[in-house]
Amino acid sequence: MAGKTIVVTSGKGGVGKTTTVANLGTTLAKKKYSVVMIDTDIGLRNLDVVMGLENRIVYNLVDIIEGKCRKEQAMIRDRKIPNLFMIPAAQTREKNSITPEQMKELCSTLAAEFDYVLIDCPAGIEQGFKNAIAGAETALVVTTPEVSAIRDADRVIGLLEAAMLKHISLIINRLNAKMVKKGDMMSTEDIISLLSIPLLGVVPESDEVVVSTNRGVPLVNDKSSKAGAAFRRMAARLNGEENLPLDGDGSHGFFGRVKRLIWN
Amino acid sequence: MPPPVQVKADRNGFTLVPDPVASLDAIVAFMDERLEKSRDFFQKTEMVLDLRTRPMRTDEISVLYEKLYEKSEVKVVEVRLSDELSFSMAGERQKSRSVAKGTALEPENCAPIIVRNTCRSGVRIVSPSDCVVLGDVNPGAEIIAEGDVVVFGALRGLAHAGAAGEQTARIWALSIEPNQIRIADLVAVPPRGAKPAPARFEVAEIQNGVIRVSRL
Repeated sequence: MAGKTIVVTSGKGGVGKTTTVANLGTTLAKKKYSVVMIDTDIGLRNLDVVMGLENRIVYNLVDIIEGKCRKEQAMIRDRKIPNLFMIPAAQTREKNSITPEQMKELCSTLAAEFDYVLIDCPAGIEQGFKNAIAGAETALVVTTPEVSAIRDADRVIGLLEAAMLKHISLIINRLNAKMVKKGDMMSTEDIISLLSIPLLGVVPESDEVVVSTNRGVPLVNDKSSKAGAAFRRMAARLNGEENLPLDGDGSHGFFGRVKRLIWN
Repeated sequence: MPPPVQVKADRNGFTLVPDPVASLDAIVAFMDERLEKSRDFFQKTEMVLDLRTRPMRTDEISVLYEKLYEKSEVKVVEVRLSDELSFSMAGERQKSRSVAKGTALEPENCAPIIVRNTCRSGVRIVSPSDCVVLGDVNPGAEIIAEGDVVVFGALRGLAHAGAAGEQTARIWALSIEPNQIRIADLVAVPPRGAKPAPARFEVAEIQNGVIRVSRL
């Protein structure tokens, strides 16, 4: 059976797409699934840095598409997890170096060999976005609880629906429970009522993300991290596991609503 | 012998009914003479061509169309092919220009455009008549209608009713909390501050030269 092709997108930049791909990929691979993560942010690649694999890049996504190398040559195996691979983007090229059709072909070839193909989408809605979503059946839309990110997420969801992607779910990143309680930040309920897609999970704001990025070690490796735990739960839900503790933002009467909306 | 074309007049305007056995040349020659004789009467009128008893090929229709227009700027606006089937020739429905002669054509209202889901940011709907949205209109979405805008949800984006200048157009929504609303050539922005919960629905209309939102 073909693997799942999942694109992680957002519209807005800097909300946590790459972090999400790195952490979900790591968690799924630790559960013994074969996972390949593709960085499609050509020209501004980051997934390699976050995974700590930047020194190991020889070939990249554009080389595969242009036929300069086989895909196995470009795939970089994770230092610690043998069934986790990454295809880096090209840093010295531009987003029009590949077409949606080429991405679609590559993704279906990879889906035949891997259980999960995670596609890290660049910010924006132009060529880079179109390339990234071409090969995906499922989309995870990442947003932070602020108006500008939600506006962009809404636009992106509209484009994903128009592109006929089958499953679109929401990830709310960088939620600050204290600010929500004070009324300074939008709550999960507010966000879902506007975006109207099922919620995959909520990741709390965390200083550890910066540290983990700098070190090149995804958060999920740290057992004590709350954000890491949130990513682990999300990966489990993505995998179809049920009966997981719900993600809350600490507000009253909230759990009932979230329970109806969690995607499983 | 019946004339090649009968020119019928009714409250909707003029209808040309070509005779089943007449040749195209005879039809064209007859209309040419008829328009010549009563040139000013038919000037710039709109006519319907009834082909139910005498079908015509498209090139024949073109010839007749051209002759009528050339002679007295008569426009064939509709061609009737059967009792159920007719097609309009005009690009837009034009309101009658010859009201004085009693040939007012009834403007037919186009059906409203109905959008059966929430309009997300970036969606733009333009309607020549009314527009009904069965869902929310999110910020960043635009609904532009020459008639009314009806939102069966929360209006949070941009709505423009009466876009062609109709001052009596209205905007209806279960909750009006927009970026901006426009009616005809007026623009309004929502007041600052938290919004009290709406009752059943809200209507925006022009009253005394400004846009007012009433809660009903």
